[in-house]
Amino acid sequence: MKKLTIRLTVNAAAREWSISPGDLLLDVLRREGYFGVKRGCEKGECGACTVLVDGRAINSCLMFAAQAEGREVLTIEGLGRDGALHPLQEAFLDHGAVQCGFCTPGMILAAKALLDRNPDPSEEQVREAMTGTYCRCTGYVKPVEAVLAAAKAIRRAP
Amino acid sequence: MTTSVVGKNLRKVDGVRLVTGGAAFTDDIRLPGLLIGKILPSPHAHARIVRIDATRARALAGVHAVLTYKDVPRVPHTTAGQAWPEPSPYDTYLLDNKVRFVGDRVAAVAAETRAIAEKALRLIEVEYEVLPAVLDMERAMDPGAPVIHDEPDSTGIYDRQRNIAGYILREIGNVEEGFRGCDVVIEREFRTGRQQHCAIEPHISIAWLDEDARLVIRTSTQVPYHSRRQCAMILQIPVSRIHVIKPRIGGGFGGKQEMLLEDITGALALATRRPVKIEYTREEEFYMARTRHPQILRMKMGATRDGTIVASQMTVVATTGAYGSHSTTVQGNTGSKVLPMYRARHMRFQCHVLYTNAPVAGAFRGYGCPQGFFAQESVVDELARELKLDPVAFRRQNAIRLGDIDRLSAQLGEGREGLPRVIRSCGLNECLDRGAAAIGWERLRKARRRPGHLKRGVGVSCTMQGSGIAGIDWASAFLKMNEDGAFFLQAGASDVGGGADTVLAQIAAETLGVTLDKIVITSGDTDTTPFDVGAYASSTTIISGGAVRKAAEKVRGQVFEVAARMLDTTPDKLVCGANRVSTSDGLKRVTMAAVAMQAMYKDKLQIMDGASHYNTDSPPPFCVTFAEVEVDTQTGQVRVVHLVSAVDPGTAINPMQATGQVEGAVAQGIGYALTEELLLDELGRPRNPNFLDYKMFTAKDMPKLTAILAETDEPLGPYGAKSISEVPINGPAPAIANAIYHAVGIRIRKLPIRPEDVLRELRDCGAV
Amino acid sequence: MFDQVDAYHRPRSIREAIRLLRNGGSRARIVAGGTDIAVQADPSIRSLVDITRLPLSYIRKAGGVFSIGATTTMAEIEDSAALGGLAGGILVRAAAACGSVQLRNMATLGGNLANASPAADAAAPLLALGASVVLAGGTRRRTLPLGEFFRAPHQTALARELLVEIVVPIPPRGARWGWAFLKLGRTLSDIAVVSVAAGLQVDGRGTVKAARIALGAVAPVPLRFGGGEAILAGQRLTAARIDEAAGQVAREVSPVDDVRAPAAYRRDMARVLTGRALGECAQQAGVTP
Repeated sequence: MKKLTIRLTVNAAAREWSISPGDLLLDVLRREGYFGVKRGCEKGECGACTVLVDGRAINSCLMFAAQAEGREVLTIEGLGRDGALHPLQEAFLDHGAVQCGFCTPGMILAAKALLDRNPDPSEEQVREAMTGTYCRCTGYVKPVEAVLAAAKAIRRAP
Repeated sequence: MTTSVVGKNLRKVDGVRLVTGGAAFTDDIRLPGLLIGKILPSPHAHARIVRIDATRARALAGVHAVLTYKDVPRVPHTTAGQAWPEPSPYDTYLLDNKVRFVGDRVAAVAAETRAIAEKALRLIEVEYEVLPAVLDMERAMDPGAPVIHDEPDSTGIYDRQRNIAGYILREIGNVEEGFRGCDVVIEREFRTGRQQHCAIEPHISIAWLDEDARLVIRTSTQVPYHSRRQCAMILQIPVSRIHVIKPRIGGGFGGKQEMLLEDITGALALATRRPVKIEYTREEEFYMARTRHPQILRMKMGATRDGTIVASQMTVVATTGAYGSHSTTVQGNTGSKVLPMYRARHMRFQCHVLYTNAPVAGAFRGYGCPQGFFAQESVVDELARELKLDPVAFRRQNAIRLGDIDRLSAQLGEGREGLPRVIRSCGLNECLDRGAAAIGWERLRKARRRPGHLKRGVGVSCTMQGSGIAGIDWASAFLKMNEDGAFFLQAGASDVGGGADTVLAQIAAETLGVTLDKIVITSGDTDTTPFDVGAYASSTTIISGGAVRKAAEKVRGQVFEVAARMLDTTPDKLVCGANRVSTSDGLKRVTMAAVAMQAMYKDKLQIMDGASHYNTDSPPPFCVTFAEVEVDTQTGQVRVVHLVSAVDPGTAINPMQATGQVEGAVAQGIGYALTEELLLDELGRPRNPNFLDYKMFTAKDMPKLTAILAETDEPLGPYGAKSISEVPINGPAPAIANAIYHAVGIRIRKLPIRPEDVLRELRDCGAV
Repeated sequence: MFDQVDAYHRPRSIREAIRLLRNGGSRARIVAGGTDIAVQADPSIRSLVDITRLPLSYIRKAGGVFSIGATTTMAEIEDSAALGGLAGGILVRAAAACGSVQLRNMATLGGNLANASPAADAAAPLLALGASVVLAGGTRRRTLPLGEFFRAPHQTALARELLVEIVVPIPPRGARWGWAFLKLGRTLSDIAVVSVAAGLQVDGRGTVKAARIALGAVAPVPLRFGGGEAILAGQRLTAARIDEAAGQVAREVSPVDDVRAPAAYRRDMARVLTGRALGECAQQAGVTP
């Protein structure tokens, strides 16, 4: 099996990985220890595998690892700075938006991608952004509240 | 009683780990030498394995083991996660020479990679004698129907020749006489669909032998202790040689109240002497795990003109699929938790639970109640209309109330004689009042019919559940104190995502007079925590919490003993709070940390104790659901505009987590009502085993949801708590069906309510 | 899942891409967004040809047409202000109705068309707009009307070629146009049970100068419904005419039963949705039928 080397940035750190040509990004990320990226359906439906590639939310179960060559990938492990939590993470905790937590990394990243482009979204826009991350625990009520609260907190921050 | 930790919206104790993606779930572990296991599923709904040859599979490079029925002990058992002796038939085998549904186990392999394992499956040669299958539960008892469990060694089957896994008949009073005395009698038939749990984390188990050659099973389960016991029995190893670890779980909802993959993963680990992981794909999860029991229910209720419900009768035919996991207990609930909602003098429940060659049904949030309440609440609505009474008033008039004794539950315990249930707390009226106000009941009932093709309506449903299984569910907990005044809480309880760890820690903290950060909880590990039946029957807060409270009271007693000596007083004059022990007059005090240091290094005493707990009753939480819908009379689509779920959970230990449970349960209830159904083709193969084809509501589909907590004080629960995790799932389907009737005058009696069915009804009624 | 894949190519030119495709035969696959390929998980694939680094991601307006590069993502289409102004934004609306944000960030217009699902979201608006596809093969390029591109479910006219561009004529000026795109699904992000894209050009006297009706998910391929269009073209636009056209469309569809809906319901909904879409077009064109 002919291996391929890919060079990419993951959570602001340069990475160089040896992969098989058919490897999917989800599998490679988990293999490299990014356990926050989850396997839920492998068909790009549930969004538990969501990561940001060049700032855009994608399903890592559908992306070939080779396609991430030269790109910037953000996983949940890359959020927060120097041990401090990102406002989205704080808001999810404060609003009870985390139950089992399996969908949480994907949801938070999808929300981050939204807020980075649109710092003042409507509830409808938040729901649209979260449509691709399934949650079977919360009914989406508190996650949506948390995202709106985080948006406010980020807008207010110095 | 004022509390400082209980009743507060505190952050989940495992929250930070979850929001940072910390290694928490079963698969978040690196194990050197890990092998991947896969199960070969049956392509046939019903067949005998005439010949099975794994030679070529075993010869494939990278394959470490292939197991067939010839390689493993034949031990009849149930996979249902229930207390021993399980009230489900022992009709399942680790591997068998007969397959009974598409997806049933034929063989299992363990190989170095997933790809090799999949290839190995294809190399296993199997010759089947395909047998006629029965997929229609209405045909399963027919004379001449294929007998699904013809094996002589299975036990606990009611009538195997007629495919009857279980049969229940219970009566209070005399319904025939009751109906004769009624002015209005309504009898209707309802059908409910095969819903799947769809926990975002599929079933996954990893097994290995530790350095002492004990079998370790790290698994996504609601029932670590039952799984341990059942694996011990099946693999013929002593219970104490098995260690089951429950890490964070990505949702269960009843689907993981089952010993599903632990046995086969364990068997592969024993065969290979290597760690083995089996993780279901989403497709396998849909049809090789568990589903809700589909039912056909005939509901008959009668009332007198003054609005009194006199007699109610429910006759159910249900299918448990190919194996009888939870077969009598789920269906028993359909009767025992549903009929007593109203104070009919005469009640009768009869149920046949049938085998069919279909995916196996098991526990699913609500546990038989969603089916039953769909039928009952629809008929109650029709009765109200016949009697020209307001649906809310009619329910209020007849609903069970404080002080009542529910005698039907005495007859319908967990598969055998139960205990009568006394209502010691009841917030039903407050639920009705606040729920009605929140939805705008009066206004919506009186609203004029809108012109155009969109019609709106409002509906209500009144439901209840239980809190733990009386006389059967039990739990234990252990606490020990550390030098810094923090306590380690070891609880057998299984937090499967709902926040049980946090709730139990809050109960401990409250009792010990410390802040939440002073409780460190370990749970669901059979080596390091004491026994707990597991997370089901809405038992964790009330039963596990009860054990935690008892253990904490004992430990608090020990703390007071030490502190009393330190403060030169007697224990009865002490109180605790805010991480301190003080005299009740407040004049003298000492910190928890100081007490600990004194105990450990001066008195040479480890402050520690444990307790076990169970209840002899199961106090019901109540839930009233209101739904406002909009029916598009041209497309038949039903849109929920607003749904209100008003719940009496006793005390809400953590209100934020509690309303989170309501919202999640309601979302599943709406899916059950409108879109979710696992479909099978004529050969018993799943037609939609994936998220594209099996539809759940996403964030943008969800209607406006209002969750209301109408708290009461339950004497049998820690700090007055009952439960909340299941009951809200019971209400949406009937509330929506009743709202559709209000909107467009048609009754849909089949779940899920599909647009084409609504359209057909509208046309048949001449409404369009 | 793709452990049998032994080569991942990232060609630097369209020519190289086609050569790799042809060399790989039936075991080579184009990868753009990857959303269909990973889902279909075909175990016979041996080589992947990644075309996302080719200069095929663009939205250009010139000479009376929009030219959209094949690897333009649904998200880019959704965000395009220029396309938002084309035909009432029906292409943008169709792109926005496609799955989730994650899928839209990955899925490409070319991929959506080449996958040729009978329910392909972008197909109905493109058919209604009379779009064509540009197929590149070796040294030649050919342009094919989209209606001729779809042959059967998941089968297209591609003959060892690469779909490189979609050309969308801008509707002629003069007189008023109204456009609509409607999609019906079990949930809001579902694959379509029925989708309709319609356009009506109406003159000052309320006479229909041009009618466009295209539906997805009601036939083996997305289709334009000339029968329905003919009922409207050249006639006064009335509610009765709209009903008649919708009824004609319902007679001409050939839907199947599937897990999403029975065929009879799809036929019914073809009528209902077409009627609603035409009504919306009429309103936008300033006519009350």
